[in-house]
Amino acid sequence: MRVAQRVREFLQPSSDPSAVRTATIGVGAALLATVLALPFARTGVEAAIPFYLLGVVVASTSGGLWTGLTAAVVSSMGITFIFAPPRFKLHVDRLEDVLATVVFVVVAVVVGLVVARSAETRERATHGERDARFLGYLATKLLSGERFERVLDDVAAALLEPFGLAVCRIFATLDGREIRAEAARSEPAAQAGEFTEAPILIGGVTLGRVTAIRAVGARPFSATDRELLEAAARQIALAVERARLGARVRGVQVEAETNELRAALFSSVTHDLRTPLASIKAGVTSLLTGTVHDPEQQRELLTTVLEETDRLNRVVGNLMDLARVRAGALVPAREATDVEEVVLAVVARMRPQLAVVAVRLQIRPELPEVFVDPVQLDQILTNVIENAALHSPVGGEVTVSAASYRDTVEIRVADQGPGIAPEDRERVFEAFYRGGAEPERSGTGLGLAIAQAIVLAHGGRIWIDGAPGGGAAVAFELPVVREREG
Amino acid sequence: MSKVLVVDDEPQIRRALRTSLEAHGYEVFTVGTGEEGVVGAADLAPDLVLLDLGLPDVDGTEVIRRIRAFSDVPVIILSVRESQLDKVKALDAGADDFVTKPFGMEELLARARAAMRRALADEPAPAILDFGSLHVDLARRLVHSNADPVHLTPTEYLLLEAFVTNPGKLLTHQWLLRRVWGQGYGTETSYLRTYVRTLRKKLGDDAAAPGLITTEPGVGYRWIGEAVQARQ
Repeated sequence: MRVAQRVREFLQPSSDPSAVRTATIGVGAALLATVLALPFARTGVEAAIPFYLLGVVVASTSGGLWTGLTAAVVSSMGITFIFAPPRFKLHVDRLEDVLATVVFVVVAVVVGLVVARSAETRERATHGERDARFLGYLATKLLSGERFERVLDDVAAALLEPFGLAVCRIFATLDGREIRAEAARSEPAAQAGEFTEAPILIGGVTLGRVTAIRAVGARPFSATDRELLEAAARQIALAVERARLGARVRGVQVEAETNELRAALFSSVTHDLRTPLASIKAGVTSLLTGTVHDPEQQRELLTTVLEETDRLNRVVGNLMDLARVRAGALVPAREATDVEEVVLAVVARMRPQLAVVAVRLQIRPELPEVFVDPVQLDQILTNVIENAALHSPVGGEVTVSAASYRDTVEIRVADQGPGIAPEDRERVFEAFYRGGAEPERSGTGLGLAIAQAIVLAHGGRIWIDGAPGGGAAVAFELPVVREREG
Repeated sequence: MSKVLVVDDEPQIRRALRTSLEAHGYEVFTVGTGEEGVVGAADLAPDLVLLDLGLPDVDGTEVIRRIRAFSDVPVIILSVRESQLDKVKALDAGADDFVTKPFGMEELLARARAAMRRALADEPAPAILDFGSLHVDLARRLVHSNADPVHLTPTEYLLLEAFVTNPGKLLTHQWLLRRVWGQGYGTETSYLRTYVRTLRKKLGDDAAAPGLITTEPGVGYRWIGEAVQARQ
């Protein structure tokens, strides 16, 4: 069947370039061998055969089995026609010449087979190495932990090259969410050629598929191609499963953190919520008793009520913020934000609270814009500056500085308070941690925890340093605006 | 007596506002839904609307849009701190100002007075505004700081004019961009920021201790310069 096809291709002027190549190399090798052997024409068949064998080997190596066979057939005709007496006739008189020619053909066929097989093995090894590298890349990519939609887009793009595809589509369902990824070569002209699909199977359930489409006129998909595509689909299935489990684990983590927060809330509820409530109720009931208070007393009671209301409001607001940030509900509305403008606005607004300290600003000129939610940056700065003021001695200096390092802006708020021992520096970001602040000046114990949560939600980091002169500095880094994001 | 319409679904807030505002000499109407709020704004012709953004029936921004269809009555939003985005949307929809809950009455009364004063002063603005050390001559487009002329580019002048003709009002980024640069603008906050910075510098205002322009990060700017006297 295949031979017949080859023969047909041979006889018809074929458009298949490989058939033309087979014929050219096969006949060419035989002709070259004839030319080389001609000086020894009178010696007979024995002298010519080594040259022809060489021709067959060369043909098989460079063109494969069929080229080798072509060379062998043409060579055997050359042997009988030119070298075996009677010369220039297509018949052979001597029995040994007939035998020699037959042996030559057998040897040529065997050599052709061996050479072609080894070439094929070599090619398969190259393919295997390429496939292994590709699957390795796929595994790394799929396990990279990037956003899944993005990973699938990259994988679809990565499948184009090794499979010679025009279009690659990946469709997968993840926890009821449908994810579609598609990659295509730039030329859209011929995108409707042969296509093949591999299912994405998890536990016997089809959760998606990989569709590979070749350009019109490209070579058809081989069995190896399909196997590799199925292997890729299996890898994607594993990644889908992993993403699903990851989401579940995150859910459990959020729940655990929420529980921890809830426990902390309950344990501090007495102090943080009841104390101001007690003062408010005492003040108001005193005013309502009917006993006459002089204006001075009235004013004092009402001032207490006001202050305690504000404190209660701060605690409730902070708890809400912390819970929302931790639960991922406070999604930053990021935009190109000028650090200096926000710092100045916060300092201007906090002027009354900052009356007892001196504020020094060291904002580098030409600071790049950061890509953050300006309202949330305001909140980070408010909390951190409030914290610095709380721990400052009266008349102390609070320094707010900002400078850029590579693709981040670092903002630092330093105070001249007692400082924080290195072993306690991590703990200050815990909810309800109150360093050594005096009780009546203490904050809610939540300010830095919220600041940390917001900084992390922006992909930044926050830490404590010592400040020159023994105080503490809260420093945090935020990403600058990358091009095209502003 | 000025009429104030309070639109809030919390009975306690309605009661507290009614008591406090009546004590300060206002005539107070209270309703609990957005629908009633829109109808009230039409039927009662109030001088001021205090609008809660978290209404059960209609979105606060929608209430403002409907009121703005027939009335220029000043609207002050009462919002919780968490709903920043809603606040900006409400201001862009035509609200005049906002007060964050829980608020002190003093702050609310000050904002209410300022909003009503602006509404009354809608007749031609005085040609020369005097903010103490700063003088702005709107007719001749001349600006003096401590008697020295301040040289402004046309855009800087337009920005200053937008500020001084809307004193005390919180002007959103979008509003300022459209007013100064034109209708096609609205998101180019970086331009605005650069111009505000230059304007502050030229007027000698310190952003860390502002006397003329304050910043509301993520929302906009407010002109806080107090006009000393207004001459025709």
